[in-house]
Amino acid sequence: MIDTSSYRGTRIWAGSLSILAAASLIWAFYLIFFYAPTEATMGVVQRIFYVHVPSAWVAFLAFGIVALSSLGYLWLKDDRLDAIALSAAELGVIFTSGVLITGPLWGKLAWGAWWVWEPRLTLTLLLWLIYIAYFMIRNATDNPETGKRFAAILGIVGAVDIPLIHVSVQWFRSQHPQAVVLRPEGPTADPEIVQTLLVSLLAFTLAFFALLLYRYGLERMRGQLEALRYNAISSQTTSAEGALR
Amino acid sequence: MEFVRQSLVIATKDLTIELRSKERLLSMLTFAVLVAVVFTFSLDPTVQSRGIAGAMIWVTILFAGMLGLGRSFSLEREQDAMVGVLLTPVGRGALFFGKFLANLALLSGATLVVYLIYALFFQLSMFSAAPGLAGVTLLAIVGFLALGTLFSAIAASTRLGDTLLPIVLLPLLIPVVFFGATAVQRLLLGRPFEEIAGSVRMLAAFDLLFLFVCTTLFGKVVEE
Repeated sequence: MIDTSSYRGTRIWAGSLSILAAASLIWAFYLIFFYAPTEATMGVVQRIFYVHVPSAWVAFLAFGIVALSSLGYLWLKDDRLDAIALSAAELGVIFTSGVLITGPLWGKLAWGAWWVWEPRLTLTLLLWLIYIAYFMIRNATDNPETGKRFAAILGIVGAVDIPLIHVSVQWFRSQHPQAVVLRPEGPTADPEIVQTLLVSLLAFTLAFFALLLYRYGLERMRGQLEALRYNAISSQTTSAEGALR
Repeated sequence: MEFVRQSLVIATKDLTIELRSKERLLSMLTFAVLVAVVFTFSLDPTVQSRGIAGAMIWVTILFAGMLGLGRSFSLEREQDAMVGVLLTPVGRGALFFGKFLANLALLSGATLVVYLIYALFFQLSMFSAAPGLAGVTLLAIVGFLALGTLFSAIAASTRLGDTLLPIVLLPLLIPVVFFGATAVQRLLLGRPFEEIAGSVRMLAAFDLLFLFVCTTLFGKVVEE
């Protein structure tokens, strides 16, 4: 029997977070489509911004979580930390993909090209590629424990490398719109735009943590199932050996 | 100083084996010549090669280097010889550093030939910029091989083997490629040193950071 009761806490948290996330997403979508003003020069396409920026924030947050839990996993050898890293990495791929899809959709109208080698877009593409490598390493070993260790090493090296990659891509002249909300002098955008963005950021963050907890619970149960299966096979082998004697 | 001595022992071991078989160096050099030939045939004859030589040289160094790295841990992998190496009283960090030094010696040799090939095939005069080119290239390949040695040890223990190496390594090497290629290109165009000072500083920071990080993490790769 799998002891599902030990995940009750995880499930309660995941459940309550997903209710909060759903509520704030509905709120955010209401604000995006009915409250936020249509931007003067870019028009209605600018509303992609409210999905694009929160996705990017969550994607980078996920990478931070991957790095920290990988570091913890390498030294403490706690499978829970690895499950968190794996769940965060999977969500990271989904949200970086979101950034890479919404960015060009907007860019085609604003810049006139689907793809521009722009620092932040390039950084996100490289982050996405590192995430892909993370899963390739993880699944390429015969012993899953080795795969976890190797993936954790890439998680740490990637996190150390991201700031350097960021500096390299900054070298190019930036075509990305300058920050309109997070500025030392205070936001230059309309208050409606700022409010909508903040609600959207909150909604995406809550949704991310709800999904993270669900995925974590699933990964933990999968791990337990594998351990049970392994024990069942090894006890069968022992009894078969006994019968042969 | 025990660390340095142990690293040198490992590096000498690798280089002695390499000197006897010469298989890695020869395959890297042949491959480098082939890449240069492929560039010659794929470029339009009207293209000014001096303007893109930095990019061509860097693509060649990266690909030849990756080819050599693929074999970096193959001797240890065959017949589980790694167990024997791990049983010797050499620290994990020193083992990594020794491997790194051996790779550095090999790739430095190969890189020198790469420059000679490009000078010959594309009529590039490099003598005036030679000290700068040597310094910048050395800085860049140190960073490349710090990450490369770590991930070649990882790739060697996976089913995908050498296929995995470029997929993992290339996105991480973007800073090296970018600052290395920019600096080399500017030196080839005869620009003054001030224009590449920023790249040199970034490459040095990358090297120090990843030599430290990779030496520390290597113990976790070979942990059994």
